[in-house]
Amino acid sequence: MAELQVLLQHRNVPGIDGIDVYESHGGYAGLRAALGKERQAVIDEVKASGLRGRGGAGFPTWIKWNGLPKSGPAQHYLLCNADEGEPGTFKDRELLLKLPHMVVEGMAIAAYATRSANGFVYVRGEFVESATQLRRAIDQAHRRGYLGRNILGHSDFCFDLHIHTGAGSYECGEETALMSSLMGERGQPRLKPPHGPLPVVSGVWGSPTLINNVETYACVPHILTHGGAWYAAMGTQRSPGTKIFSVSGHVARPGNYEIELGTPLTELIDLAGGVVGGALKAVIPGGSSVPILPAEKCAGVTLDYEGCQAAGTMLGSGGFMVFNDKTDIVALMRRTAQFYAHESCGKCTPCREGTRWMSRVLDRITAGAGRMEDIDLLLSICDQIDGRSYCPLGDAASWPIRAGIRNFRHEFEHWVRHGSSPIPGFVPPVRSHGPSPVPGRQE
Amino acid sequence: MNDTKLVNVTINGVALQVPKGERIIESARRAGIDIPYFCYHPRLSMENGANCRMCLVEMAMPRTGPDGMVTLAKHPKPQTACSLPADEGMVVETETEATVKARKGVLEFLLINHPLDCPVCDRGGECPLQNNTLHYGAGASRYIEAKRRYPKAYPLSEHVVLDRERCIQCARCTRFTQDISGDAQLDFLKRGADTQIGTFNAEAFSSLFSGNTIEICPVGALTSRHYRFQARPWDLATQKSICTECSNGCSIKLDHRDGQVLRVNGRVNEAVNEEWTCDRGKFGLPVAISGERLTAPLLRDGDRFREVSWDVALGTVAEKLQRAGKQAAVLAGSKLANEDLYALQALFRGGLGSTRSGYRLGGQSSEARDVAAGLFGLNPMPTGIAGLEASPWTLVVGSDLAVEQPIVFLRLRKSWRFGKSKALEIIPASAPGKTHVGAFAASSVRYAEGGLAEALRRTCAALLAANPGLTASQEVLAWAGSAVQNDGGAARRMAEVLATGPGAMVVGERALAGPDWREALAALGHLAALTGSSGSVNRLVSGCNDRGADALGFVGGELGVAGMLAGAASGSVPALWIAGADPVTQYHDPQSVIASLERAPFLVVSDIKLTATARMADVVLPSCSVAERDGTFTNVEGRVQRFRQAFEPRGSASPDWLIAARLLQRLGKPSVWFGWQDLLAEMRAHVPAFGEVGFDALDKDGAMLVATQVVD
Repeated sequence: MAELQVLLQHRNVPGIDGIDVYESHGGYAGLRAALGKERQAVIDEVKASGLRGRGGAGFPTWIKWNGLPKSGPAQHYLLCNADEGEPGTFKDRELLLKLPHMVVEGMAIAAYATRSANGFVYVRGEFVESATQLRRAIDQAHRRGYLGRNILGHSDFCFDLHIHTGAGSYECGEETALMSSLMGERGQPRLKPPHGPLPVVSGVWGSPTLINNVETYACVPHILTHGGAWYAAMGTQRSPGTKIFSVSGHVARPGNYEIELGTPLTELIDLAGGVVGGALKAVIPGGSSVPILPAEKCAGVTLDYEGCQAAGTMLGSGGFMVFNDKTDIVALMRRTAQFYAHESCGKCTPCREGTRWMSRVLDRITAGAGRMEDIDLLLSICDQIDGRSYCPLGDAASWPIRAGIRNFRHEFEHWVRHGSSPIPGFVPPVRSHGPSPVPGRQE
Repeated sequence: MNDTKLVNVTINGVALQVPKGERIIESARRAGIDIPYFCYHPRLSMENGANCRMCLVEMAMPRTGPDGMVTLAKHPKPQTACSLPADEGMVVETETEATVKARKGVLEFLLINHPLDCPVCDRGGECPLQNNTLHYGAGASRYIEAKRRYPKAYPLSEHVVLDRERCIQCARCTRFTQDISGDAQLDFLKRGADTQIGTFNAEAFSSLFSGNTIEICPVGALTSRHYRFQARPWDLATQKSICTECSNGCSIKLDHRDGQVLRVNGRVNEAVNEEWTCDRGKFGLPVAISGERLTAPLLRDGDRFREVSWDVALGTVAEKLQRAGKQAAVLAGSKLANEDLYALQALFRGGLGSTRSGYRLGGQSSEARDVAAGLFGLNPMPTGIAGLEASPWTLVVGSDLAVEQPIVFLRLRKSWRFGKSKALEIIPASAPGKTHVGAFAASSVRYAEGGLAEALRRTCAALLAANPGLTASQEVLAWAGSAVQNDGGAARRMAEVLATGPGAMVVGERALAGPDWREALAALGHLAALTGSSGSVNRLVSGCNDRGADALGFVGGELGVAGMLAGAASGSVPALWIAGADPVTQYHDPQSVIASLERAPFLVVSDIKLTATARMADVVLPSCSVAERDGTFTNVEGRVQRFRQAFEPRGSASPDWLIAARLLQRLGKPSVWFGWQDLLAEMRAHVPAFGEVGFDALDKDGAMLVATQVVD
């Protein structure tokens, strides 16, 4: 198998970020096709495609769309999650930079299907250029009548699209925290079933709200243009379609690769030019929060939701990180733990306290002051966070550490015994965060 | 739960029927199953709760398979019982191995950064974190890293001190300021393990209700600057009492030791304060009754006082009163109990034949009171405090409600918060830029000094314009028709709400204190009639026992307060008793009071402290504070509530009713009062307003006065 570019097919066409070139490459045909159908037929087309959410959870997209009220007053909101913060993931960034119209078109189709009059793209605060590109695309689409009042002459379809930039918080990529942040509140998660309503019942400002990932929306125009069956024919039966993987780490050609779901993991490494600087040691296939796969477990793993699960990891958001044998896994886990400790929103006890604790223990181990019982202590802290936090950030913080120890316990033991890295010549960076300054700014 | 559907849930094998949607933690509590928690509080919103994770339980729901078979599907993750709504067939387990482990884990996390300075912490001994650790925690901690450190004793305000090391980020205090008091002054700063409580821009935590956050804090993070390091909770005795600092009559607990009240905490009374207190009461009451107290009777000796026995003091007073006879007068203060007021009336009317009893009802005249009663009925607060929750709209007239009537304000805000009522206000231009009600009012109308009647007229006119179908007399139409609308639409917005049907009005004491009170009352009468709300115009009083004094005939009277002072100066009041009042510092014109009292032939003052007024007396009698005696007060809505003696009186101090009883004895007319119960029984029998005040009700929420014409 090679790359199968659906979304990224025209990414390198000069001017594809402008509306003329985008249209001449089939742009907005999906929206026209959608508007020629009944709203339910659009949802049914998405259902037929088998499209699953590309943000990480892989939830069937059509079920969300189908969940919004289909009659009655329609103060519905359509949100696009462009707060791409998962370490190792940079697909949404490229989509917004190069193909902003594809996202706008996908959202317009979704707005039509779900009777939403207002949409917000919540763009990660650091993505200034992406937001600028999106701004331009929205303005162009508005002038061409793809957004605004009575879109393409449709008497019963008005849709305005707004941009909201985040302020630098990983947690705001969690959909309910994103909604809190969008409403001007602290970027913290909200109650979900069974404790509170689904966003499609009561989301932002108490109104039915649909929220999807950038890549998910970008898939939609193609599905409407070519049909759900065409899309479903790609990939595997349970994970249809293509997926963009952001390949990084010790490979020759890091970048975004769009492949059919179900492609063998090793093929993706080859597509990216193979491992450099040494032999393959491990892969994190879906972003920093998914369990790490050691090289010996990589063979035979296919990149689809089920294939990754069977291998004990997850497809996640497609942040595919490759590590060669010069990698110190303990240092990698320490950096990962630091990230989650830094990004924990602080709302719930397990995540707030547990992530900092793990980070401190790993600091100590990589400073040469580890104790053998620290390894099981880390596993125990993972157990105490996993499944008990308010939102999935706690889970995401505990999975990588647990998998790191399970698969590379000997490296942790080496650090504890010798006070130094098992990788000859490796010196871990100094602590990047110390005790919290009192009072004053966060480091 | 009238029309709420009941559902079947099973908790630890116990089958229960509970209202659908009830939080499982509450269902379990009623079934006697204890689920530990920190952040949960039934009066605080759930949106920012469910964060401590202490109440995790295992939960399963029935699921019908494709074959029609119903199986129990266990939720893969433990769920927080505090936020889990009961649903049909839900099965909950609270004591499984997994939940026990989850709680241990949460407690370990909470304790890793907690300073464990319990020996010097105010909360030690009454601390949920200690208690839950005792019951559910592990024996040892595995944490060897450095703990979070912050400087201790961060001063949030003159009352509240913050210890960020002890904070467990439960969001109770932040939610209190957002949900209950509405000032939203506390919030979290920073994130993750650096999350801490603070105010915007480090401004002072100036909420009128800040003290409540100390009480609901589940650790010793928020402490009272006044109570800090003063006591261990187990060394304190607690007594049920009633707050005396305003007319709302909050149920409180006096925590005391060695004859000193060290702190005031709220006590649950769903009819009045729910469980809250205001800072004026919480921090003000201990100050009001502490300090230099009178311990023995004082007799004037030239320009000095001499301690004398009660025998000598009462002998002097009895002689002077007897000689003055029906010309004697008594001026009572707002913190006297119903029993004191009744006993004073018995002494003056029965013993001396004098009807010269006086009491100052804020700035409002007794005439205004009577005119209002004629317009709106005898009960000055027909809606009651809790009744405000059932009113579709409440119009606040002439009052910065949160300051004057803190607990009435909280109830109004609660009603608004749950979408049950809209708030409106017509307030003086001199009120603060944004009043507490103004923050959520549908419309705020302002009037310049003396302009209340005109503002009400504008509102009536706007209402007639908004709802042309209203029937009104030609007279009212003509009156309203001449109003000039110049308030930028505030009256129109108000009228839109008023036009929706009857509601309630809350009229502040000062609204009817100005020279234009007749016009204001008449205008209020028109507005009430137009909205169909004449039966729910609430005229609020502000003194602790104003309603009791009114019911017991102290308001109005033969002379009135001004007449009494003038009489003292002219000699037509040969003997004046000022009981528990300090007109020299509290009257609007202190110089005239001093001038009058200087010339008074005989002045006796009974009080708990040597006040400025007492310093001018011929005889000073030491009286008891609320903490040193039993009795009852009548709050703003006419609710008679019992307070209990916490500790012994100072020296030979005596409650005013007992002083009156001893004087009656000296006058040869002994009473049969041995305690407050005897007085209350007599009031029930002889004072129509107290006709239904039963002892049983006093021990619950209190007993309501009957609205009757007071016979002066």
